[in-house]
Parts: sequence; C-alpha cells; structure tokens
Amino acid sequence: MHQSMNHSMNQQPFAGAAPAQPAVRMENHGSSMLKVAMQSGHDLFARTGSMVAYEGYIQYEPNAPAVRQRASQWLTGEGAPLMRCSGDGLLYLADYGADVVCINLNGDSISVNGTNLLAFDAHLQWGVERVKGMAKFAGQGLFNVGVSGTGWVALTSRGTPIVVDCGGGEDETYVDPDALVAWSTNLRMKGKRSFKASSLIGRGSGEAYQLGFSGQGFVVVQPSEDSTDRLRARG
Amino acid sequence: MSREFQRGHKAKISDLTAGTDLYVGVQISGPGLSFDISCFGLDADERLADDRYFIFFNQPKSPEEAIQQLGAQAGDTDSFRVTLDRIPAHIRKLSFTATVDGAGQMSQTGPGYLRLVAGGTEVARYSFTGAEFSTERAVMLGDIYLKDFWRFAAVGQGFDGGLEALLRNFGGEVLEEEAAPEAAPQAAAAPPQAPAPAFAPPPQASAPPVFAPPGVPQAAPAPQQAPTPPPVHNFPPPQGSTPPPAAAAPQVHAAPTLAAPIAPPGYFDGASHAAPGHTPPGVVPPPGPPGVPGQHAPYGQHAAPPQAYAPQQQPYGMPAPPPVQQPAPPAQPYGVPAPVTPAHGAAAPGVQGALEKYREAPTGQRWTLQNSKLMRVDLGVDPQPVLARQGSMVLYQGKIDFGYKGAGFMGRIVGSATGQEMQLMRCTGRGQVFLAENSANLHPIQLENDAICVAAESVLAFDESLHYEVRRIEGHGIPGGALFTMQFQGMGTVVVKTHGTPVVLPVTPTTFADSNAIVAWSAGAQVIISSQVRLRRNAYPGHSGEAVNLQFRGAPGNFIVVQPYEV
Repeated sequence: MHQSMNHSMNQQPFAGAAPAQPAVRMENHGSSMLKVAMQSGHDLFARTGSMVAYEGYIQYEPNAPAVRQRASQWLTGEGAPLMRCSGDGLLYLADYGADVVCINLNGDSISVNGTNLLAFDAHLQWGVERVKGMAKFAGQGLFNVGVSGTGWVALTSRGTPIVVDCGGGEDETYVDPDALVAWSTNLRMKGKRSFKASSLIGRGSGEAYQLGFSGQGFVVVQPSEDSTDRLRARG
Repeated sequence: MSREFQRGHKAKISDLTAGTDLYVGVQISGPGLSFDISCFGLDADERLADDRYFIFFNQPKSPEEAIQQLGAQAGDTDSFRVTLDRIPAHIRKLSFTATVDGAGQMSQTGPGYLRLVAGGTEVARYSFTGAEFSTERAVMLGDIYLKDFWRFAAVGQGFDGGLEALLRNFGGEVLEEEAAPEAAPQAAAAPPQAPAPAFAPPPQASAPPVFAPPGVPQAAPAPQQAPTPPPVHNFPPPQGSTPPPAAAAPQVHAAPTLAAPIAPPGYFDGASHAAPGHTPPGVVPPPGPPGVPGQHAPYGQHAAPPQAYAPQQQPYGMPAPPPVQQPAPPAQPYGVPAPVTPAHGAAAPGVQGALEKYREAPTGQRWTLQNSKLMRVDLGVDPQPVLARQGSMVLYQGKIDFGYKGAGFMGRIVGSATGQEMQLMRCTGRGQVFLAENSANLHPIQLENDAICVAAESVLAFDESLHYEVRRIEGHGIPGGALFTMQFQGMGTVVVKTHGTPVVLPVTPTTFADSNAIVAWSAGAQVIISSQVRLRRNAYPGHSGEAVNLQFRGAPGNFIVVQPYEV
C-alpha cells in the first residue's frame, strides 16, 4: 500500500512537466505538417515561407549570411530560400499540403532536391550544388542540398513517396527529375537526354530528360511531376 | 508464377493470388541440425494473446482449423495450410518461425526458403541462407499479417534464444503484465519440449499423449513438473504460493492461455474430463477455462476479485497495483529478461529507418499499386508493352524503351476543337516503370473480357493487349465541344486516375453525371446527353444557361464512376 501511494505522489510533478518537453525534435503533425521542438542553442534551417504557426519564443532570420554564402548558387534575386530559426518553443512548418517525411540522420547523408527540402538542424553539414547536366531543366534548374551528420531533416513530397533501391547491378535507375525527392549521396548520377525523336518522356517541351542513378543506395520519388517550388513562387 | 522475395519485402496476398487458401512451406536444414517450425497467431499488439494460435508440433491446428500444420511434404521441411478468410478477427498476424532443436546455430543452416503456394502453384518464395545469420538459434522467417488486407512479408530476423526467446518475445508482455506465475515456468517448459525432434513428424492430434512423457522430465527446471495438460492440475500449487495473481478470473484465463500451447486443443477437453473433480466438464471452451471455476473459490478469499482484476488489466506504463506487484516477483526471473521489443516495426533511426515505410513493394505482379498514387509496372512479367500517358513516368529501372504513340485522336477534328490530344508512350523492354500523375489517385481495373468506358482524361495507362477505341460524345456545353472516351475491352489492366476518392453509382433510370466529373462507366451503359435549362442561372453573357449532364441508361449491374473534381 505504502509503495503505491508513493508512486502516485511522485508521478504527479512529472506528469505536469511532460508536455513541455516533447521527446522528439521533429515529428509529423498529421501527414502534411511538421512539428519541431525548438530549443535555444539548437537552431534550425527551414524553407523561407514554410512557417505556419509557432508557439513560444522563436526568431527568424530570413537572409542569414551563412546561408547566403553556402547557398549562393541557389540564390536568385529573391534572396535565400532558407531562414534560420532560433529560440524555444514549438514550430509548425508546412508546404502547401505536401506530405512531410522526417528523417533522423544517424551519421548518414542524404541528397535532397531543393524544392523538397523543408527543414534541417543547423548543426548538420550541408551544401548546395547544381545537379550536373541538368542545368536549366524545366526553366528552374535542379538544385540538390546534401545534408549529413547526426540530426533531423524534413522532406516534403507531393503524395506518398516511394523508396526504390538502386540494385547496383547492371541496370541503372532513371528518374523523372520533376518527381525526384531525395537520394543517397553515394549514388552516381548522370543526366540522360533521350535522343530518340520519337520518345517523349517527362513533362513538357518534347525533350526528355531523366536522371540516371547507379550504385548502391536508394532513390525517393514522389507520385507527382509537379516540381513547382510553391514556397518560392509566392515570392 | 513465383515471386522472389528479399528480406523485408512485403506484398498484398491479393496481388499474389486471388485465393485465400494458402499453403506455406518452409524448407530449412543444416548438417546435424533439426528444426522446429512453428506459427504464432498474434493479436493487434503482436502478442500471443490466445495460445490456441500457437501452432507447432504439439498443437497442429487452431480451433477453427484456419491454420493447420501439415508436416513435411513436397520437399518442405514443414508446411502449413492457412485459410485466410477463416482466421478469427482478433488474429492479425501469423508469424512463421524456425528454431534450432538441440545444439547448433542458424549460421550452420544451408540454403532454405519459405514459400507460399496457392491453387497448386507457388506464388511467392523467400530464400535465405545460413550466411545471413550468426549465432541465433531461432529465426522469424515470414509473416502473413492483416493491415487493411492480408499481406505477406519476408522477415528473416534471427533470435538468439531459440524457441524460448520467441515465446517470450510474443508472450513476454503477457507474463509481466498479467503476472501469472504459472505462465513463466510454462515458458521455460516450452523450450525443453521443443528440442524433442522425434515429435515433429506426427503432426496429428494423436501426438499429444506421446509428448507428455518426454516433456515431463525435461520440464524439470520449471517449478511445476508437467508441461502440458498437467498445467491444469498444477495450477493449484503455484497459486497457493502466490494467491493474489490468480484472484481475477480473466487472469486465470490468461495464465492457462500461455500454458495451453503445449497441449492441443483436443487434449484439454480430455483433461477436463479426466479431472472432473476440478472442473465440471462441459463448462468451458478448451483453452484456459477448465481451471476457472475451481480456482475462483480459493482466490476470492485472498483478494477481492473484481477490483483486483481491473487494475491487472491495465497495461504497462503505470506502476502495478499492489496485488499485481506481489505476484510479480515469482514471475520476474522469467519475465524481466524477456525481450519486450517487437521484432520489427519500431522505426530505427537513420535514413533507412525513416524511409522504411515508403519502401518499394515488389510483388512480381505486372501491375502493383505501391500506394494510392503510384503504380509500378513490371514489364518483366509479361513482355507485352504498356501504353501510358506521356509524362506519367516518374522512375524506371532496367532496359526500357519509350516510344511515342498517339491514341488515335488525330484526324478526328480534335486538335482544332480542343487542342487536347492524348499522347501516349509505349513502354517496352524488361524492367519496372513507376507511373504517377500529379498525385492523382490511381485505380487499376482488371478486365477479364469485359468492357469499360473511361473518359480519356482519366486514363493513365493500360496494357497494349487490350482493344481500345476512342469515341467522342458531343454536346453543347461540354468544354471543347466534346467528351472523349476510350472503350477498353479484352484481357488486361487499365489504370484510371481520379482526383480525390471517386464514387461508384449503379445505373438506374435516373442516373445523371456531370460530364466534367465522370470518370468511367461500364460499357453496357448507354450515354444520353441531357441538357437542362437552368432558369435561375442564365444571367451572365456568353453562357447559354444550359448545363450538360450525361444520363446513363442500362441494365441493372451497370455502374458509373464519378470523381469529386470537375476538370
């Protein structure tokens, strides 16, 4: 009897504290909203314009110099596509209803299509590069952001994504760049243009591009060829 | 045609076979090793809540015979018959396991497999070799589980402790939670039983009596002497030592539950008859109950039955209420070390862990819906080309050629009227193509010599082997002047895309649909353009005040499909 009394007494203060400290840095709030537990000293990079709500004391720095430097290729006249978020509280991010996938990087690395990147921990190593051979694809260039280290990354996908293993065998995996979400960094990638006049794959202009991946790893693809950067398009 | 599964692969059973009567064969062997193949019927929490669904050499079938162990045959070390539609609702997962009997470890096994056979043909095969394992003494080979549909997963996960660890894994939480002292020794008793290889062959119910004798000595470590039917008799002693646990009726239920797997269901009946003093014979269903009435009485004296029982039902998390805590100690030696973690399901950190649930699900079927919006076409299954809407390819693997193909809309005044022209690409070769468009929902429709009309805008892809013809429905008010439809007929699959979840309506004398929202209809239905003048809504210039609906007529059995989206 005594024991049980003690138990219940002891638990009460903990129960009160529980909600203030979510155990997870990032988690889905529904399928298309990301919830980030912010903590000072533990900053976050998020796509500019992706914040839909926050609770607590969170500050946003839209054009952080560090971002401008690293993402210089990605910049256009509008400024950097990433903002630095800092402070304490709960931050909610979304990208026009796209599905959100949180990944806890455990020392791995992943390459993410710039359009499909929603947020990542600021302490991760990251860099932006233009996908070779895909310059000016579909009028907007395809940028990929490589992220590695130990921490959290959130991606967006228009529709439930699918993960496909590149067998590493003789067959390469070809992806419509508009549908590409992310891929393992160690894959070899090359642009492929279908020269056959008769073959028209992919959206639009009559020229077909695909990205060919080879090696051991995976590719994440969304069931949509809508690669419009909605956060960017809003300006 | 048999599909090769790799570890971790999953597929809907319905994609493998239309049947629900499955034969599961396991082949596993190694020099000097013998194996026990078992099937655990688990509930939604992946626990062996009902031990009548632990199908193993000593209990070769479940009560309703949905799961039967058939023994060695046709080259398989052991085999089961699973009738999916007879499996009771609370059984959500069948986990097929192999455990090393006696000395040895999994790494010593040679090549083996788990296969599914339906209707006389093998539909799935998961092959493994000992090289994939190390010192484990048990392996979970594959699961047949219910997640919306019955599915099959190739698991291939090793377990260190053999059958005992497996039992704990599936039932361990029961031990702790229900704190049934009898249960723990039982778990201990089980493994010693398992090692008896001689038992495996006779899967029939005749077996039990045979087992009992060897089981007894082996069970020695456990407090109670006899493993099987004896548990019923044995309940009293352990209970005497720890009265509180048994106080609650349900708990008693649970305890025998664990004990029961050792005895085939039939056996229990026998037992209860044999020990009428204990229990009035007909009182109970086989598994646990025999003990209930008799046991009830003694406990009642020790603890207040009703209350004690509610708290015990409470799961983990909370500190156990007093009555439970007392029984806990006896259970601890067994319960505590038990691995509580479910074998799989918990997402590991890291990229792979986070992405696991989105992983490709190959089935070997020609058309596989990966999720509601993504279709995988395996051109290796059948060399027939597939025609798909241009631009719908999101990914492909293998050597596939894409060629241009008009849908035959040209020369039908289409261009001038609408500018809309459906362009198709012909996918040929060997490999897999993933198709999707604008996150529209996809619906594969398998035609077996029947016919369906689909609005051209809603066609995503189809087998070239299907006959199709393009028709146009003209009417004032239809955007572009006409609605193009494609009628498909023959053997093959059409993939239809819809925005949102569509509704399927039967064709009645008064079935109307908006020409912009119609997706498809059965070819037996006749389409009539019906114009309705809307008096109220003709106010703005340029609008004729006429809305065009399509009316459908047809014999009963015809249907139309409408999407919640007007183009």
